[in-house]
Amino acid sequence: MTEASSAGIQIRGLTKRYGSTLALNGLDLDIQPGEIFGVAGPNGAGKSTLVRMIGGEESPTSGSLTLDGQAWSPTDAWDAVSIVHQEPQLFPNLTVAENMVAGREGAGAGWPKPGDADLQIMDAMGLHAVRDLPLGECSLAMQQRTEIARAVARQARIFLFDEPNSALTQAESDELFREMRKLAESGRIVLLITHRLGDLVRNCARVAVVRDGRVRGVLSGEALTEEGLARQLVTEAAAVAPPALRASFRASEAAPRFKVQGWSSPNAFRGVDFSAGLGEIVALIGVEGSGARELLRSFGGLEPCTGEISVTGATDVDWDRFRCYVPATRALSLYSNFTVGENLLARLGVPEIANWLLALKKGQMAALVERSIRRFLVKTPKASVPIRSLSGGNQQKVAIAQALNRAPELLLLEEPTRGVDIHSKNEIYHLLRDYAATGKVVIVFCTEVLEVFEVADCAYVVGQGQLSTRLTLSDYEHVEVLATDIARLEQGADAKVGA
Amino acid sequence: MSSDLTQTPNFAKFGRATVDIAARIGGLFAAVIVVAGVFLLINPHFANLNLAVSILRTMSSVAIMAMGLTLVIVVGEIDLSFGAMYGLAANVLAVMWVVHGVPVYVAIPLTLVIAALVGSFNGFLATSWKIPSFIVTLGSYNLLYGLSLWVSNSGTFNPNYPPSGTDLPQGQLDFFIGLTASFGKYQLSAEVFWMLGIALVVGFLLHRSLFGFRLMAIGGNTEAARLARLPVRRYKISAFIVCSILAGMAGILDFSFIQTSQPDIGLSQTFPVFAAVIIGGASLNGGKGTIIGTIGGALLLAELQLGLALLSPGPHVQQIFLGAVTIVAVGLDLFLAKLRKSLK
Repeated sequence: MTEASSAGIQIRGLTKRYGSTLALNGLDLDIQPGEIFGVAGPNGAGKSTLVRMIGGEESPTSGSLTLDGQAWSPTDAWDAVSIVHQEPQLFPNLTVAENMVAGREGAGAGWPKPGDADLQIMDAMGLHAVRDLPLGECSLAMQQRTEIARAVARQARIFLFDEPNSALTQAESDELFREMRKLAESGRIVLLITHRLGDLVRNCARVAVVRDGRVRGVLSGEALTEEGLARQLVTEAAAVAPPALRASFRASEAAPRFKVQGWSSPNAFRGVDFSAGLGEIVALIGVEGSGARELLRSFGGLEPCTGEISVTGATDVDWDRFRCYVPATRALSLYSNFTVGENLLARLGVPEIANWLLALKKGQMAALVERSIRRFLVKTPKASVPIRSLSGGNQQKVAIAQALNRAPELLLLEEPTRGVDIHSKNEIYHLLRDYAATGKVVIVFCTEVLEVFEVADCAYVVGQGQLSTRLTLSDYEHVEVLATDIARLEQGADAKVGA
Repeated sequence: MSSDLTQTPNFAKFGRATVDIAARIGGLFAAVIVVAGVFLLINPHFANLNLAVSILRTMSSVAIMAMGLTLVIVVGEIDLSFGAMYGLAANVLAVMWVVHGVPVYVAIPLTLVIAALVGSFNGFLATSWKIPSFIVTLGSYNLLYGLSLWVSNSGTFNPNYPPSGTDLPQGQLDFFIGLTASFGKYQLSAEVFWMLGIALVVGFLLHRSLFGFRLMAIGGNTEAARLARLPVRRYKISAFIVCSILAGMAGILDFSFIQTSQPDIGLSQTFPVFAAVIIGGASLNGGKGTIIGTIGGALLLAELQLGLALLSPGPHVQQIFLGAVTIVAVGLDLFLAKLRKSLK
């Protein structure tokens, strides 16, 4: 790669440190203009940090960036870069045309109007019809297109697409990729960062696989296939020897404990039949927009659904006692105004931490906190420090412990190890395994194959709101094979809708 | 004033969060003492227990309302209507009892029931209809004031001089005035004991009960509480109800002490009560606030108010101080929090 021409972006030894964690660890990358360059990687691999670096939202700890052979600091030359997010970050109250000019209004004192050049760009991008509509009333696809048009108008050179099509329909995302190709053909630098391997294979000339803050390989030509990418994403990374952890019995033989039938939600999935047995950890895997996340939430009673839901055959259960849902982001599970101890107890009530008069049982609370800290391996100097002072991994343990303290029969977790270091990750997997082994049902929503491999007994791939056949994890000795199968099932789901 | 405390190893067995709150309240009461010191320097005659007693009386009704407001602010909502509720309570009681002769023993509970209804109204609209509580209670502020004008027919009432035709039994009158009777050498009003008693109850509710624990959780992260299936709606409505009832009680007690009701009483209390809560360390973002802090805030304000009134530089000075103290207290808070962070 050293012979790369001076045009484009060259990144050398890019390193970013957040406290004690290395988000990027000497990353090298060359991106040429005229191609769509893909970036793939598991959660926490450093993809989003890379986007923030190139987008100038943060500056690197060390390393160098050059643009067309010149030293380049994106933090200063921010207007050369445009980041197109899944959720456009614009002004929903202004019209599309006003959004085009916002920030470049010029010196006039009047209400700013788009210039001729702006109008041409908007026409070329098919924004003519919605020009005078408030942006907030336009479809997501139109909003994204407005964001691109804005960047084109300010003559940005570099376009970063960060999971741009996860909320778009098939037709809309096809349209988006056409737009991306046009940008690339006009000599701009286009990066696509996505979890959807199919999109990377179909649209990119080259795809870099990022893992642990480094580029682990760049695939192009013949080697660039979904299976190839899936393998690259998981090789070497399987540090745990999970099969030993797995439940010894074939859970499918046990009677189902938790069951849904004909389970449908208006926008996410339809007619899902699903069951899980005692002691089982079931993984639902699917990319954003596949319906997997919504399915998990619906089991927690957080999405309006139709269909039948039952526990060992009974439908009238005290659901709030029966199940606990742990969201993916800690911002949705932890209370920043609470200490570690208070967070551990936040889901409890009468009789665990208060008597019938609602008076808190302080002694019991302290003992319970002490016990939870030990049982759930929370590393904290003491129970009374603010929750934010813990490391991400320990915060996550607190978030899960908070739910486990209620001893729910059905534990629902969304990406339980997102943004968590490898050590805490293993501890969390052990916690979940131990918990399931006490005769509970654990259902996990994952976006990473590796996580499925490490934690689950069986898995379902969700695509376009449909459940795949059941994958039994003990059939897989190698994570690569699992990755390939999951990639195939995801493709299959895609193909079904395309037909 | 608090940054050095957190560095002291003696405090290591308490968490930083506990130390933060202790330092905040310590700072507040230090400010109360400093202000007293300044007044004494200006005028040594202020060293007078009568004055201290009257500060306590003045702060009572503000503190009672502020405690209710603290609950609402802790749960992450806002109530602007308590001042109007205070006025409505006094006026409704006056009309029921003084004008229509309903026995005071019945009229007082009825008034408190009305207060509870007002609280449920605020809470219901803010949670079920999802109207921001700022808007709901801005509306009910005006609504309640309107009701006060209506029921009182814009008149003032004094139970000692009931309108001709009604005759208030002396026993009822004694009972009512006895609610806030002053006694002892320094004429300490019973209203102060009401304040302390309510502080114990509300303090228990907020700091020692599951109710308060969950109010803190809901105020700290409403979405997390909802996802964890805590009864968010019920708790928010309860906070509004307690706030309204306490405002009603404050109105009744002040009516008993002043013995005159006017349709617009209480309205001007709205912002001093807010100031007391904010100075006391509650955060408008929710999830943070203490009863002892709120009482300290009310004490500091009453002290300034009375001291400045006696120095009589003019009413504008009190008002300017109220504003300045509120801003400085919160500004200092943020500054010290930042300082602590940078020292860590």
